[in-house]
Amino acid sequence: MTEHGPAVPGTQATYVFAVCRDVDPAAVRDLPGVDAAEPVRALPLGTLTAVVQSVPAADFTDEAWQSRLSDQRELERYARAHHEVVSAAAAGSPTVPLPLATLYHGDERARQALAEQADRFHSALRRTARHAEWGVKVYAPAEPSVDPVPVAPPPVARSGRTRPAAGAGLAYLERKRGMHRRRESRHDDALRTAEAVDAEVSRLATGFRRLRPHGAQQTGQRDVQVLNATYLVADHRAAELVQLTRTLQERTGTRIELSGPWVPYSFVGEV
Amino acid sequence: MAELDFRGAAQPVAGPPAASLADILERVLDKGIVIAGDIKIDLLDIELLTIRLRLFVASVDTAKKAGIDWWETDPALSSRAARDALREENNELRRRLEAQEAGEDEAPRAVDAPGADSAATQGK
Repeated sequence: MTEHGPAVPGTQATYVFAVCRDVDPAAVRDLPGVDAAEPVRALPLGTLTAVVQSVPAADFTDEAWQSRLSDQRELERYARAHHEVVSAAAAGSPTVPLPLATLYHGDERARQALAEQADRFHSALRRTARHAEWGVKVYAPAEPSVDPVPVAPPPVARSGRTRPAAGAGLAYLERKRGMHRRRESRHDDALRTAEAVDAEVSRLATGFRRLRPHGAQQTGQRDVQVLNATYLVADHRAAELVQLTRTLQERTGTRIELSGPWVPYSFVGEV
Repeated sequence: MAELDFRGAAQPVAGPPAASLADILERVLDKGIVIAGDIKIDLLDIELLTIRLRLFVASVDTAKKAGIDWWETDPALSSRAARDALREENNELRRRLEAQEAGEDEAPRAVDAPGADSAATQGK
């Protein structure tokens, strides 16, 4: 990758949101995109169409991204703007979403670079046609904040053991060990449930990817996420998927969260 | 009941509108967000205005706030880390136990029952 210095003021760059088979420009025209000054529009690429927006190059330099990504609100604004355009395009046409911040010098350069990858886009479109991506998350139940098991019988009866204080110390140790064992076994149970859920949902899916579980502070709950996976599911099986996750939740008593349908972000191919 | 964010159902692939930022980020950044690898976000081999993952390394705190903290070792998620935590806690408890018994031992050491030492030191 070559990195150019700060762009000349006034220079426009072309931000590409997605490549579609055949997008209706009206579907994206009124969206703000990542820079409301210019409309989101369709850029024909021969057999395909890119959804693009002209943006001031100066706003998308390395340094600009550096500070943008350090600001969660800005990061969120860009991520959601990108997602919004991709979703709007995909609602009307098979779509290959491009990663956040895919930029070219200008329309010509974008057309040239994207046209070179037309085969890849076509195969991604074929692979994901009439499919959507669904996220499945499984949560282990939160651990009780206080050990619910009453003090275990202290092992004071050891022969020669005469000091009650020491016996209490050992009992404490034993109790702590017991808590850890229970916690580990609860965690193992949750992981087994996660594997079972993944196995069952995978059977219904044509593709799957495991994502890293989110931290508890993100989910806003004490429940620990033990599975964060995403699946490519044929549209006609979506109802089956909803039913399956519902059944699995009832059967395992584990909280299962389903999100979707998503544009098949995670399944448009290894680039 | 599975919690289903299904408001986009009318449009086949509109995407869940109320999706969490972490969900969106891990998708719009694609595999690019894999912090461990120095993968470029310019997956299409673009020149010019591209960003690299090192930006994210510089803004790990932001990513963490967004819930993208999975490069960290989480004892709750990694059994190895959980075992380490257990071992550490056990060691700490043993240290405290020893300190406690050492305190008691100061005066009555001479009259200790013969088996006491082995009981006190078990588990070391």
